[in-house]
Amino acid sequence: MPDPRVERRIYFEDVQMNVPLETPGVTLTETHAALFGSLTLSRPADPGVIPELIPLCMSSGLGWRVPQPPLVVLAFMGFEWRFLKPARVGDTIRSVSKTVAKRSMKEGGVVIEERTILNQRGELVQSGRLTLLVAKRPAA
Amino acid sequence: MSGEPTVYFEDVKVGDEYTSPGRTVTEADIVIFAGLSGDYNVLHTDAEHMKASLFGERIAHGLLGLSIQQGLLDRVVPGQAIGPLASVKWKFKGPIKIGDTIHVLARVTAKKDGDGPTAGVVTVERRVINQRGEVVQEGETDHAVARRPA
Repeated sequence: MPDPRVERRIYFEDVQMNVPLETPGVTLTETHAALFGSLTLSRPADPGVIPELIPLCMSSGLGWRVPQPPLVVLAFMGFEWRFLKPARVGDTIRSVSKTVAKRSMKEGGVVIEERTILNQRGELVQSGRLTLLVAKRPAA
Repeated sequence: MSGEPTVYFEDVKVGDEYTSPGRTVTEADIVIFAGLSGDYNVLHTDAEHMKASLFGERIAHGLLGLSIQQGLLDRVVPGQAIGPLASVKWKFKGPIKIGDTIHVLARVTAKKDGDGPTAGVVTVERRVINQRGEVVQEGETDHAVARRPA
């Protein structure tokens, strides 16, 4: 039986290509906008609008709410992202992502993830590609 | 609204430069961002684990750095000269650690027509620089900026 104190993790070798992973949703509230505004001093003029970086930032947390254990990410290397539709207070977003490329390196491996963020009407809110450096499984 | 004069697409010039104030990234920033985003990766939340890591200590979420630089730039860009984000290409080049002070250098590198007649697209190159002069993040952002009404 696995030691329950050891968090289950997915290493580079375990990453499967092109398997879509859909997260549960999260409703964007005035509180999210206020917290983000006080943290960054970045705020839209219209209080009903969710600052555009919030869905992107929250999508990384949505990835922790799926049954699959988290990736052992060593570093977030970069991303390309498009903001397609503004999110408003009250919208519920979820994300769908899949690995579209992986490349083994000496230390770990590079994983490229394609991610889309959808709202409650299934409309595309934001989408892009993220490049992650992921650990290889330690030798037993 | 702040009452600042509106800045239109026509007013933005290629080569316009902006330098933001600095800001020290604190442990509180990281804790609040973990709570807000739900990203509790050990990189940002487990001090003991990180002692043995490449970085030696907790580091700020890359997207926290991105979010802070956005706010820093908003403080120096007049009006809506750099409008809502249309797209981002971004590289995380080095860690932002607790206590690091970052600022942003930004430069308008291109202007082009947008999808419709009412707005153009402004491209801005940004560098996030720490107290040692190291570029910790850099990238390019596109913005939709309203044209001056006829």
